[in-house]
Amino acid sequence: MKRRSLLLSGLGVGGALLVGWGLMPPRSRLGSAGLWLPAEGEVALNGWIKVARDGAIVLAMNRSEMGQGVHTALAMLAAEELDVPLPRVRLQQAGHDAIFGSAESFVGFLPFHADAREPGQETGAFRAARWVTLKLARELGISITGGSASVADAWEPLRLAAATARARLLGVASLRWRLPVAELEVRDGIVSHASGPRAHYGELVEQATLSPPGDVILKPRSATRVIGRPAQRIDVPDKCNGRALYGLDVRLPDLLYASIVHAPMIGGSPGAVDVSAALQSPGVERVVRLPPLAGADAALAVVARTTWHAREGARALRVQWRAPPGGPLDSKRIEASLEGAARKAAEERGGFTFHSRGDSAAAMTDAARKVEALYRAPYLAHATMEPMNCTARIHADRRVEVWVPTQVPGLARDAAARVAGVKPDAVTVHVTYLGGGFGRRLEVDFVAQAVRVAQETGGRPVQLAWSREEDFMHDFYRPAGAALLRAGFDARGRLQAFEAHSAGDALEPRWMERVLPALTGPIDPPDKTTVEGLYDLPYAIEHQRIAHVATTSGVPIGNWRSVGHSHNAFFSESFIDELAFAALKDPLKFRLELLADKPRHAAVLQLAAQKAGWSQALPKGRARGVALHESFGTICAQVIEVSAADKQLRVLRVVTALDCGTVVHPQGVAQQVESSVVMGLSAALYGRIDIEGGVVKQQNFPQAPLLTLAQTPAIETHTVPSAMPPTGMGEPALPPVAPALANALFALTGQRLRELPLQLSLT
Amino acid sequence: MDLSINGQTRAVDDAQVDPRMPLLWVLRDVLQMTGTKYGCGVAACGACTVHVDGAATRSCVTPLSSLQRKAIRTIEGLAGATGPHPLQQAWIEHQVPQCGYCQSGMLMAAAALLEANREPSDADIDAAMTNLCRCGTYPRIRAAIKAAARQMAPRRPPAAPRP
Repeated sequence: MKRRSLLLSGLGVGGALLVGWGLMPPRSRLGSAGLWLPAEGEVALNGWIKVARDGAIVLAMNRSEMGQGVHTALAMLAAEELDVPLPRVRLQQAGHDAIFGSAESFVGFLPFHADAREPGQETGAFRAARWVTLKLARELGISITGGSASVADAWEPLRLAAATARARLLGVASLRWRLPVAELEVRDGIVSHASGPRAHYGELVEQATLSPPGDVILKPRSATRVIGRPAQRIDVPDKCNGRALYGLDVRLPDLLYASIVHAPMIGGSPGAVDVSAALQSPGVERVVRLPPLAGADAALAVVARTTWHAREGARALRVQWRAPPGGPLDSKRIEASLEGAARKAAEERGGFTFHSRGDSAAAMTDAARKVEALYRAPYLAHATMEPMNCTARIHADRRVEVWVPTQVPGLARDAAARVAGVKPDAVTVHVTYLGGGFGRRLEVDFVAQAVRVAQETGGRPVQLAWSREEDFMHDFYRPAGAALLRAGFDARGRLQAFEAHSAGDALEPRWMERVLPALTGPIDPPDKTTVEGLYDLPYAIEHQRIAHVATTSGVPIGNWRSVGHSHNAFFSESFIDELAFAALKDPLKFRLELLADKPRHAAVLQLAAQKAGWSQALPKGRARGVALHESFGTICAQVIEVSAADKQLRVLRVVTALDCGTVVHPQGVAQQVESSVVMGLSAALYGRIDIEGGVVKQQNFPQAPLLTLAQTPAIETHTVPSAMPPTGMGEPALPPVAPALANALFALTGQRLRELPLQLSLT
Repeated sequence: MDLSINGQTRAVDDAQVDPRMPLLWVLRDVLQMTGTKYGCGVAACGACTVHVDGAATRSCVTPLSSLQRKAIRTIEGLAGATGPHPLQQAWIEHQVPQCGYCQSGMLMAAAALLEANREPSDADIDAAMTNLCRCGTYPRIRAAIKAAARQMAPRRPPAAPRP
């Protein structure tokens, strides 16, 4: 059995093979001090923590900062257990050891219904699959900043690593002063005893490597001083003065700049190329022909003295582009075929069934009243503000160095090694700040391209930079999708059945082929992302069938912030609103009635409603909509208020309530909500990628508008107090935006918009 | 040619550049001043915003030839000799940046606004701040501009001494 199938299907479990492996316990995830390269003036206490002679803490940072505030949140965990102020924690990029790998992101792939995952009430099958997946993920040691999993992943091992380091330091003080550990106190990194002795960590660390930590106990919530309190983000000062280093800001001696040119048509390739004019363009050094690499189409790269000279050279290329072998793509045709596939699946009860309970066929036949609707979502681009780029250098001894804004440093290393024909440990990856990620930087196409170009520059480093147009035209888009949703009420008006038949490309198998080719097999396992947000609704509906038809459209598709949830929540939560209307019930009350056995969901929904003033009437010309959605372990409810005065739609206010477990960094949570709301509104109001004659029509921001400051509503964030471990925050506030907005527009105008982006007709 | 950047004269080797070359690339790739960002190349996103003679200007479409005897100010020169610009302080106070890539341009656009208008209304802020942010920092930007404006507002002149 291929590892991928195990990882992604989970239920395969493959018992015998895995029996006795044992989940790597948190203690063995501390790693040894030997994982660090020796550094003057610093002593490593385990794989995560070093102490400097001045008492500062150095934390191995295994996650990429792309705006989500993860550097700060993880540093807070270390500061908490070590009892140091946050500014005393310095970050150093972690290496590639398995202890730094992702585990919770992979658990997120498991196709389990939310009921099976409910914290504290997990089913045996889920617990077993989770165990296997965590074990496998830790074996693989793949570090991913994604799946909103960074804080959840670090929660135990990082705190334990910090607490263990603290225990060793206290042990040294105890021996030195001949005082019991229990009587020592630590404040701001200074260990002291009431009788007088004091020392900061730097004065104790020399002997600490020899001091056994003894029993290490994590702080109880009542004793925390950092977690859940306000904290200044570590990355903010440098992001206000131009010093923050992004991928495109890497400057090295002798640096060359390269501009990439793909075929205008997706899947196209360069045929005959006349490079003479390009080579005569001032500052141009050479033109490199690139084969298809890590999912990127074949392309040409122009290498020059500056980015501008490279672009001027690229404009001078004369290329006969070849169309893709399957002919040019057309998104209208694909979207129509998805709609057809969803309808056909509904008719024939086809597709892969991800969730089924009761007898939905019979319940639908017996229903006294039926509601049916078709929902659609388009392709969508990531459009990170910093376009794709990577800087690469191949040294004379074949060692490879890359500087790259990436969400997957280990996979970037593997991709660089494959292209350069060296072992992964001959590659050094320097992770810069990311000017946005949103899933686009889970790809390694630009890394492979940069290394390929660097093979032609005689040892000089080269920065490969995509233009905004290349970035829009050669993205790995959120897949388009269509879903036919049906529901049946009984004679007493109770919702009895819910069926969803959807169609769209499976994306994770395609992503695996690009970034983890060694783990891909001949058959796609069922991709849970196709139905997440449709098959795992919290509502008590007795008869359900949720099935998906996985298609292969040929359009390059990838992970877009919140992945399947981003459009499936629009489908499911808009449809639930339709059902409330059909049942002549208030949409909030209708949902709450279906959440009688889901107290956490009900609490979140009620908090949002209360803060938004749901029960209070609005002035004429205004309306509210509500949506509830769980993703990445976090439950999120939103109430959106809109107006349409003077034929002008305005989103006035977005109130968000969350249950995301323990809040580590409150301001970080609020920022992620603001970010998700703004990005969600851009997607709901404008987001679409059209492909005509094989070419993406939206090639730059003028054709692909984003929400502006002037259009941004008031955004409020409220969290439900929780003592549970932290759950995802980078994505969960995005999925409910589109349905809450669509539901508000319905309340305002009576128009039920079932296609993204929402196109209201205001006459 | 010589450029005046952040109060200093910077010589740019004519053999290395071209009069048509946008200021953005001169700053980033020739002078290695990477605080000013590339976002779109068509003056749509504002990540490349700098000041030219005090006016917020999108450097990705501003050719070198237009900059003779013009005073250029970039994010590297936003802080004064005495410390950070009030906007930079407000940006930290309000914890504005997320990914941060658009923030140099945002700060320069906001600084030009406050140079011209010490008491901007919401509508003034809406009109001046057309830069794009993908992370959704807009609400904090608005709040930080207002805070900086309060900070920068000229103090009332002291009451005239009584005769």
